[in-house]
Amino acid sequence: MKTHDQHGRGRSRRPGRSRLLAAVGATALVLSAGLTTPPASAAPRAATVADARAAQGTAGAQDSAGSKGSKGSKVLTVAVAQSVDSLSPFLAVRLLSTSIHRLMYEYLTNYDPKDGHVIPGLATSWQSSPDKLTWTYTIRNNSRWSDGQQATAEDAAWTFRKMMTDQGAATANGSFVANFSEVSAPSPTRLVIRLKKPQATMTALDVPIVPKHVWEKVGDFSKFNNDKSFPIVGNGPFVLTAYKPDSYVRLRANTSFWRGAPKFDELVFRYYKDQDAAVAALRKGEVSFVAGSPSLTPAQAASLKGQKNIHVNDAPGRRFYALATNPGARARNGKKFGDGDPSLLDQRVRHALFMAVDRRTVVGKVFQGHAVEGQGYVPPRFATYFWKPSAGQELRYDPAGAARLLDEAGYRRNADGKRVGKDGKPLNYRLLCHATDPNDKAVGKYLQEWWGKLGIGVTVDCLDNVTDPWLAGKYDLAFDGWSVNPDPDFVLSIHTCGALPATPKDTGATDDFICDRTYDQLYARQLAEYDPAARAKVVKQMESRLYDLGYMNVMAYPNAVEAYRTDRIRSITTMPSAAGNIYGQDGYWSWWSAVPANSGDSSGGGTPSGVIIGIVAGVVVLVGLAGFLALRRRATADDRE
Amino acid sequence: MTADTTATPATGPRTLARQRRRASVARFWRQYRTHRAGLFGLAALVLCALAALTAPLTVGSHVQSVTDAPGAPLESPSGRFWLGTDQFGRSLLGLVVWGSRVSLLVGLLAAVLSVAIGALIGITAGHFGGWYATVMMRITDWFLVMPTLVLAIALATVMSRSLGTTVLAIGVTTWPTTARLVRAQTLAVESRPYIERAKALGGGHGHVMTRHVLPNVMPLVLAQTTLIISTAILAEATLAFLGLGDPTVVSWGGLLQDAREAGAVSSGDWWYLVPPGIAIAVVALAFTLCGRAVESVLNPRLGVPR
Repeated sequence: MKTHDQHGRGRSRRPGRSRLLAAVGATALVLSAGLTTPPASAAPRAATVADARAAQGTAGAQDSAGSKGSKGSKVLTVAVAQSVDSLSPFLAVRLLSTSIHRLMYEYLTNYDPKDGHVIPGLATSWQSSPDKLTWTYTIRNNSRWSDGQQATAEDAAWTFRKMMTDQGAATANGSFVANFSEVSAPSPTRLVIRLKKPQATMTALDVPIVPKHVWEKVGDFSKFNNDKSFPIVGNGPFVLTAYKPDSYVRLRANTSFWRGAPKFDELVFRYYKDQDAAVAALRKGEVSFVAGSPSLTPAQAASLKGQKNIHVNDAPGRRFYALATNPGARARNGKKFGDGDPSLLDQRVRHALFMAVDRRTVVGKVFQGHAVEGQGYVPPRFATYFWKPSAGQELRYDPAGAARLLDEAGYRRNADGKRVGKDGKPLNYRLLCHATDPNDKAVGKYLQEWWGKLGIGVTVDCLDNVTDPWLAGKYDLAFDGWSVNPDPDFVLSIHTCGALPATPKDTGATDDFICDRTYDQLYARQLAEYDPAARAKVVKQMESRLYDLGYMNVMAYPNAVEAYRTDRIRSITTMPSAAGNIYGQDGYWSWWSAVPANSGDSSGGGTPSGVIIGIVAGVVVLVGLAGFLALRRRATADDRE
Repeated sequence: MTADTTATPATGPRTLARQRRRASVARFWRQYRTHRAGLFGLAALVLCALAALTAPLTVGSHVQSVTDAPGAPLESPSGRFWLGTDQFGRSLLGLVVWGSRVSLLVGLLAAVLSVAIGALIGITAGHFGGWYATVMMRITDWFLVMPTLVLAIALATVMSRSLGTTVLAIGVTTWPTTARLVRAQTLAVESRPYIERAKALGGGHGHVMTRHVLPNVMPLVLAQTTLIISTAILAEATLAFLGLGDPTVVSWGGLLQDAREAGAVSSGDWWYLVPPGIAIAVVALAFTLCGRAVESVLNPRLGVPR
């Protein structure tokens, strides 16, 4: 799962608005054609269509009832700060969208909420052949699509085949199937995948399996956003019933879900652009859960901690927060582009820059303790793959050492105290920062001062849209961050040469244009290694290599700081269960397991006193104004004709 | 006026002019003094200007340093930090004082730019008339009906984030009212006989506009500038609050934006929000009061102050 950061860090490769509009028209045509065609003959088929319509009707009724839902139905409302990029599992890359797909569709395998090891999902068991090239999955026979049809191995085979053959369907998860040679379903409960080369991620295929009978009618996968007919047919713990862009996503519990029905009847993700507004909504009880963007600020967490009926979940996160250095952007065809500062190609300069960054201060001051100091690439939460630099290798905070390194590299101070490059120009780097992320701006202020003391100028470029300069390679340094999955393959793959764009005009999967032969060899080795311990060893070597290269310097692992109302949610599963996050899990555990509190709707019901006070104040102001105007009229009566 | 000049012993024309100007300034001040609100605004302005000018001596530029911030994050007001601290542990009192420099500077520069554009277009349109005036006034109308904030946001978004951008964005969006006012005054001035006389004596366009029209519209321009400064300061704060200002510069609007991003609003950390907010309100009010007073002194038609 390419889980981009909540606030769209990295890039989202979604179609532009005009393309979306075109797609809307096209899909509407396709769908209406599909609906008007009478079902061939099968009676059960007709019944399912009727079913779907009936369900649509109820969904509409619930819509009009508002978010509180109909009487007695238990609704879990989640405030999110991200909008949905696409509801199509073939296109969606944002954290919110991929989390919703977890709820809508079953994946072949899932991760245990306790420690993240692989457990059965749609597949009940799996095995690989001795030559490591053939994988056979047994598909469960007790999973049904929400329109009543059985979910079979053919659905899974069709999903994978579609991604292999249709470029548009490979947009989001194409990397998983790049190495597949053939996928077949010899029986409804058997799925066979043949590989070109061994692939260690076969039990971590984070690909939503979609119903073939619904999706084979779709025309252009690169444009279909799956948001035209509701409810959307799925087999996950929830069924998506309504969606309004930049407003809300509504899901209904799937009572026939094979693992058991969720305890809440309805789950609503409501979009709040302003985090303070979301926190206020939580205090008032308008929402039951707030997922920060990417987490609540220290001040918000501190003030919510003391509140009655509110629980703040502060746990190790699955993200890393890093400083990316432009290694000279280039494409697979060897063409160079962008305008990264050439001095950054010197490893000593990169190391010096990072040695001048006091990670302890970043964690202590900016995150105020709601983070862990950065080490290797993979956060410590994933203990199997977590790597720490050795004492000799570590780039410890050492401004004097950094200054020495720069002197060695030939960047000496001039009369003004500025470091000067070989061309006689003072070093001045552009630092690309997300205008929407307060942490970027705060850390930017520190970097400016730390590097300023080193004699290096920094221009902090805070943009709403960092994607354009980033993809064009027009940056020197940038704030970067990714959510890491239990299987780290994806976050490792984005630094291989193969992920570079094909030509400067294309968009590659690459994160920071890093291309290193040693790293690539290690990447290929870990992908072919089926023994978990041996694979972890190779992954750690890769992290070590990445650390030494100094293009991707991890400053911190931010915590997941989120809050929920205990008078609405009695219990909810975190992942890992000991101390973990709730929003954006690898799996559907949190929302599926959430138990409603039986205190009823008392806290949210009735007119809150604030509203009454507001109305009274408004009336007083109006009366005062009217009186003032009347007096004034009387006073100026003589002047008027 | 003439009584003054004839009473003094005859000297050079320059001395005469100087004396006349001194006299009119004194008269202006006498009348201005009668406006109590204007005096109050002036006092507030002088205080603010002093605080801003002496900031390098009183608080020093190191107040904006995050690496050697003296306090803990978001401390409430205490004996050590009178207005508490921000999320980095910097003293808010120091930041508000330091931020006044940027807010006042941007306000002044943007107002000067705006009034300069407005005066130029107003005088030329009023003087030349004809198709030139028609075109210029239609452009003015267009800017007049455009919502200022939307236009400024659009400008600030497409250009790089710096103080210059903010000044430009505010300057080029707030000039139309000035242009309209100045054009009206220009038309009134140009219809006076002495302009015709000047033209008959060979005064060219440039001479008439700079020597006769400009001095006569100057009082109006001055009053307009004072009024626009408060608009500009508010606009600067708005842009900074919307995150469109330069994030590395400390300004009042920027402080409000920082407070919002730090979650101070929902956490009830009022000391982060209230001081910059009050500072913006006080300065904007002070400029407005001064502007009103100046306006009523220079323009007797506005009638006696209520």
